[in-house]
Amino acid sequence: MLFKALGKIAQTFVVLFVVSVASFGLLKLAPGDPIQIMLGSEFSQASYDSLRAELGLDQPFLVQYANWAIQFVQGNWGTSYVARAEIFTYAFKEALPVTLTLASFSLVFAILVGVPLGVLSAIKKDTIFDAGSAVLALTGTAFPSFLLGILLIWFFAVKLQLFPVMGYVSPWENFWLGIYHMILPGLTLSTYFIAMITRLTRATLIEVLEQPYIAAARARGEPNWRVVWVHGVRNIAMPLVTILGLQLGVLLQGTVLTETVFNLPGVGQMLTSAVLGREYLVVQAGVMMTAVLFIGVNLLVDLSYPFLDPRLRTSK
Amino acid sequence: MKPIDHKKVLAERLSARFGRRTVLKGLGAGLLTAATTGAPSLVRAQQSGHIKIASIKVIDTLDPHFTGFLSSIQIINNIHNGLLKIAYDGKNVTFEPDLAESWDIEDDKVHVFKLRDGVKFHDGTPCDAEAVKFSLLRVKEGEPKSPHAWKLALLENIEIVDPLTVKLTFSQPYAFLPVALNGSTGRAGTIVSPAAVQKYGADYGRNPVGTGPFKFVSWKENDAIELEANPDYFEPGLPKLERATFVLMNEASTALAALFSGQIDGMTDCPMQLVDQVEAFPNANLYGEIEGNYTFVGMNCKRSPFDDINLRRAVAWALDRDTLVKQAYFGRAQKAYTPISPPMTEFFDPDIATSGRGQWFDLEKAKSFRAKAANQGEIEAVYLMAERGPVGTRVAQTVAPMLAEIGIKAKLELVEPATWVKRRNASDFDLYDFEWVADLDPDETLYPEFKSDGAWNFGGWVNTDFDDLCAQAQVELDPAARSILYNKAEDLLMDEAGIAIMAHMPIYKVFSTKVQGFQYIPADLVNLHTVSIG
Repeated sequence: MLFKALGKIAQTFVVLFVVSVASFGLLKLAPGDPIQIMLGSEFSQASYDSLRAELGLDQPFLVQYANWAIQFVQGNWGTSYVARAEIFTYAFKEALPVTLTLASFSLVFAILVGVPLGVLSAIKKDTIFDAGSAVLALTGTAFPSFLLGILLIWFFAVKLQLFPVMGYVSPWENFWLGIYHMILPGLTLSTYFIAMITRLTRATLIEVLEQPYIAAARARGEPNWRVVWVHGVRNIAMPLVTILGLQLGVLLQGTVLTETVFNLPGVGQMLTSAVLGREYLVVQAGVMMTAVLFIGVNLLVDLSYPFLDPRLRTSK
Repeated sequence: MKPIDHKKVLAERLSARFGRRTVLKGLGAGLLTAATTGAPSLVRAQQSGHIKIASIKVIDTLDPHFTGFLSSIQIINNIHNGLLKIAYDGKNVTFEPDLAESWDIEDDKVHVFKLRDGVKFHDGTPCDAEAVKFSLLRVKEGEPKSPHAWKLALLENIEIVDPLTVKLTFSQPYAFLPVALNGSTGRAGTIVSPAAVQKYGADYGRNPVGTGPFKFVSWKENDAIELEANPDYFEPGLPKLERATFVLMNEASTALAALFSGQIDGMTDCPMQLVDQVEAFPNANLYGEIEGNYTFVGMNCKRSPFDDINLRRAVAWALDRDTLVKQAYFGRAQKAYTPISPPMTEFFDPDIATSGRGQWFDLEKAKSFRAKAANQGEIEAVYLMAERGPVGTRVAQTVAPMLAEIGIKAKLELVEPATWVKRRNASDFDLYDFEWVADLDPDETLYPEFKSDGAWNFGGWVNTDFDDLCAQAQVELDPAARSILYNKAEDLLMDEAGIAIMAHMPIYKVFSTKVQGFQYIPADLVNLHTVSIG
């Protein structure tokens, strides 16, 4: 068991190393140059060379990578080239909480809406309700989130003035105001997941409801709600957790557009502007945080199986 | 040789250079005095109100000597002052002393600035002749090298006459000086706190300390830049606002929605495609005029096929500017015939359309040039484009069918902006479109862009007569004589079709009707000095 855990950790480090080299290298391979961007249109070769040396960008690739890696591991993430932002503060303390808030809010919202909707569709299989929820789910997956975001803004924020158009308020500082600012972006980001969870729940539950133990429960005379919500729904947890772990990437991708449309200063916006500005160090920080998050969550998913399915506990 | 009264000429030039030669009487003596007295007002201004303005373009740094972006200058100019500043009365752009109380021109190369007394930087250190010398030297020869160093290349000596008087000696008469020494688009004349530069070093851009009406408070990435009123500002009664927030945004349509819903009070830049919506909205005021800029299709003169002057001329005459203005610029721009733009009234000919100068749409003429071109087959040309600039790829999309009319197949290559910059700078294209913006003087609008060995001459058009004309104009102080030289220079550029010119653009800003007192200056500035909010 311990050996297995150590193996898992070693594996994680190898993955992080590969990710860091790949992203460092890919960005350098991409045409474009942070100094040309920071100098704008009007500059001379002398000022270009002088800044390049100042930022250490004239060093060979391996030296740049090694310098970065050694500093990064020590928690010294450096400063951005152009704006001279302290990257640790910017990426970890400012941007990450925004994205985590948005992602978790959307996920919770998607589960709270998607699971009941899926359960109802399964129970009312092949009724008009089921068809309606299928249409809704398809629309949800197909609808581009940035368009939905803009539509929500114009309808709920500009026309009805019910919600703020944009901005982030930390829920740790002001819980209700934070949630209030999260509603439209959360709704935008969660549409896809509501649809996915609804369909997943429905399919799983339909299958589960045909199992012998459900028939047995019914035979024991248990009320229908108990059969469905207790014996049936708990079986959804496994596939749901698995799929959510794997779809975390999609969720993080979604935050990029959602953060842009609602002007939330999160990791998505940070990465977009950093890639466009060729802020190599900021991109590295963002990629590493995302990688750790992704690996961490999937590790948790692995670890959660025995809790979700008692059979996995006894089979060892 | 007729002697020239440089003092008079420069004074005239300064007071009315973009105007209709309305020479202000009393300034002809060559002494310009600031309208207000130098000593800070004893009655402190009562500040109130908090304005929130969306800034939808990249802010690179708040260090005036290193920024390459107008979006940054918009903020920097609220924190810092220059030796000179730009003023605009709705008709004329003038250059007035800002931190200087007076500006005396000893001869055509020697300028004496007397500074306002008692002006302090936000960190409490005095803004004196030492600080001016420090700032100018930082631009001219500091390390790392400022991208604006070239603006002070002719500055030979800086002498501190007394703590409030500084004497600048140039190696040649320098007609561009009023632009170079202003604190706005010129940037080179912005005065920074020496103590702060020493304290923060390369991080000055995140900790700017100037003398301006607002003090820097904080800058949170992708979030906001906060400023607060400087109660000790030297212009009496200003600023009126207590606080100003520049909300950093990427998405212009969200900014507009936020403006309409009242969450923000203005936008430092309103893209042309949103202007119709703003005009239809009753609670917003739109500010914008044709500014000192021009847009063009650039051709790579260094390689085939556009090293062929006839082919370039064919392109220049094949572009239907009316259609371009309508399709690419939402009907808001103005057709251009030459690079010199309408706000440079001393150099711009209002009757240029009928003067026979420049380039315009004439398909017959284009076809006759095309018939003279070396390559008579169908030509495939790489057109480099990106979602950048005021209208993104709309120009390329509109231009491509026009080129097809003369047998040029534009191979549109869409790349992301950083790649675009890199390829443009390396002259890795056949065609591209670009715009030079916020120019206040023909020198900066022509010379560095098209000088034979110029760093920004990406198309590589070479004409030594053009170089000579611009070099002469640079040291010529008489505006009429300068105008003739620049007109000749741009005629060469247009005739040899170094570029195909397209349009002069308006640059828009929008504020909620609650915002009062905004003074529009056609150099893409968002000065909040006089702004108040109801």
